[in-house]
Amino acid sequence: MRKVTAFLVVTMFFCTLTVAALAEERQFSRSYLWDSNAVVMQDMTKYKKNPPYTIGFSNASISNSWRVFMDREVRAEAEKHKDLIKTLYVTDAQDKPDKQIGDTEDLVAKGCDLIILSAATMAALDPIATRIHKQGIPIVCLDRRVKSDNFTSFVTASNFTQGRMMMLWLCQMLKGKGNIVMLPGMAGAGPAEERIIGAKEILSQFPDVKVLDMQYTSWSPSEGKRIMAAMIQSFGNKIEGVWCDSGLQGSGAIEALQEAGLKVPITGEDLNAYLTRVQKYEFPAMSIGFPVKMGAEAVRTSLKVLQGIPVPFIVNVTRKVLTTVDTADVKSDQPWDTMAHPEWPGDWWIDNTLPQNWLPK
Amino acid sequence: MEAYTAWTGSRRFAFKSTFEKYGIYIFLIILFIFASFVSPAFLQPQNLKDVLHQAAALGIVAIGQTFVILGGRGGLDLSVASVMATVAVIIAKNTGGQNELLLPVALVCVLFGLLVGLANGLLVTKRKVPPFMATLGMMIIIEGFRFIYTKGAPKGDFPPILRFLGRGDLGPIPVSVLSLAALTAIAVIILRKTLFGRQLYAVGGNIHTAYLSGYNADVILTITYMASGLTAVIAGMYLAGWIGIADNWVGKGYELDSIAAVVMGGTSFEGGQGGVLGTIAGVLIIMMIYNLILLLHLPIQVQYIVKGAVIILAASFYVRRSST
Repeated sequence: MRKVTAFLVVTMFFCTLTVAALAEERQFSRSYLWDSNAVVMQDMTKYKKNPPYTIGFSNASISNSWRVFMDREVRAEAEKHKDLIKTLYVTDAQDKPDKQIGDTEDLVAKGCDLIILSAATMAALDPIATRIHKQGIPIVCLDRRVKSDNFTSFVTASNFTQGRMMMLWLCQMLKGKGNIVMLPGMAGAGPAEERIIGAKEILSQFPDVKVLDMQYTSWSPSEGKRIMAAMIQSFGNKIEGVWCDSGLQGSGAIEALQEAGLKVPITGEDLNAYLTRVQKYEFPAMSIGFPVKMGAEAVRTSLKVLQGIPVPFIVNVTRKVLTTVDTADVKSDQPWDTMAHPEWPGDWWIDNTLPQNWLPK
Repeated sequence: MEAYTAWTGSRRFAFKSTFEKYGIYIFLIILFIFASFVSPAFLQPQNLKDVLHQAAALGIVAIGQTFVILGGRGGLDLSVASVMATVAVIIAKNTGGQNELLLPVALVCVLFGLLVGLANGLLVTKRKVPPFMATLGMMIIIEGFRFIYTKGAPKGDFPPILRFLGRGDLGPIPVSVLSLAALTAIAVIILRKTLFGRQLYAVGGNIHTAYLSGYNADVILTITYMASGLTAVIAGMYLAGWIGIADNWVGKGYELDSIAAVVMGGTSFEGGQGGVLGTIAGVLIIMMIYNLILLLHLPIQVQYIVKGAVIILAASFYVRRSST
């Protein structure tokens, strides 16, 4: 009997330890924690329905790995809630706003209870979103919103914050004085322009930090490398820092810098190629993610809407800040090498919540 | 008086024909001098090396494109960029960064490029599908297969040898540039010294005459598309080696840039006129324009305007030449 009791106690002890280890500590978004206003929750009782639900996901495209990961986050999260979600319809507009308008209309025609919309452009998708919203079908915008406020909730991570944090780290690394170059993403694309606005807000407070040049890179590693190489020839050692709004061009730019022997501070995102090259070439660097896991969050928010549970108008997902060198205001959430994985594909986005079977293989 | 007219006339004629023949090279030299004048950074050895590095992949793919366009009948190959990107992801995934696996995987890629070219060639010659439509369709099909293959996020790594080919140097000269020079020399020999070259010019010049001469135009044109597929594979490997990241869009835009380089280089869309050396000059012009715009700190979007203007200028110049 004593042996059995001892066995049970030991078993329970290890079970408790395992459960504690598996339970992830819940994280909260900084922008939420530092927001000086109370979050106004919106009443969703008018959308309350009995499960199972049919949800439509109108995706702008899966034309790059970020969008592929985000798309998978949506599907994987829907699979986790099979008891509540009967069908998830997914469309791919191939970056064409006109196709996405047709796709979204089709989803409504299929009788979707809710539409998740990642808009190809803010303006073009606005009329269809407005019409659906007025029909009483809830719309949850994901990653990119529409121009008007005619939607139910917007799941995102602030691009302004991203631009600010990156520039703040760079300016503080330079101790408020120096020359930098800016390599933003795609001219005219909402996220790229918003990140530039955020960065320039910070720049205006550092009058001795000069922007030598700013060139768009189309979020392409090869453009990042090509443009950085030309800038190195043009400015040489005058370049003291590089602001990249993404890890895509960042991974190309860092190679051009390394080949030229110019080890200057650089910014980027949680793209594995960028993280591993920073580690390999030992650059002073910073990364703030625009997390792909916002796809999963959009599904969770959608379920709350359909269950009549209040949700905020803007849902900010948590994001990780990494630095190889901390500054006064920008500190690393965890060591760089815990996020950089040389054995994984360069095109993977590290801050994801995808189960093993959903990772692209 | 008559003698004077004859003398000036022949001089004018000589000048005109020289200018027509060597116009692209003269323009290249003028652009080079202009670039050196307006931007001191342009002449720095490292900058020239960067330009040549970047020109290598475009030059290689443009060689194949020249063959296709030389064949006439509105020939062009829009599928080259798709082939380049697919080759990059195949190599990254299947070599996993190991040198010893590069050769077998590269051979598979070569086979893939030749098959794409064969399909393009058969569609154009046997099914009489316009080249624009045939190669556009092929481009989209390959893209679709690539996304299925990579599931949108390519994985793997490139072997060190490939990285050396893409960005390494032999002495002061980039390896990729030496490769481009070797491929250019081979292409020039094929076009000028072989029966196939003569037949290609004949088919491009006048397909009916070529047919009457006993040339099998369909076979010749199909070979040009296969050559284009092959050079796209080689260019894809070099570009992947240069960037070092398996990206789904390696070579994006190279289909139009390669066509632009061929047209700038004096190869006529009607076929049968032009050659590879002009194309290489066209490639250098495009890359110099890209580089100069960055060195002058102009917005990068300006490169599209300048490049477009240069293409229109070149095309109108050659149209005028062929109509006079």
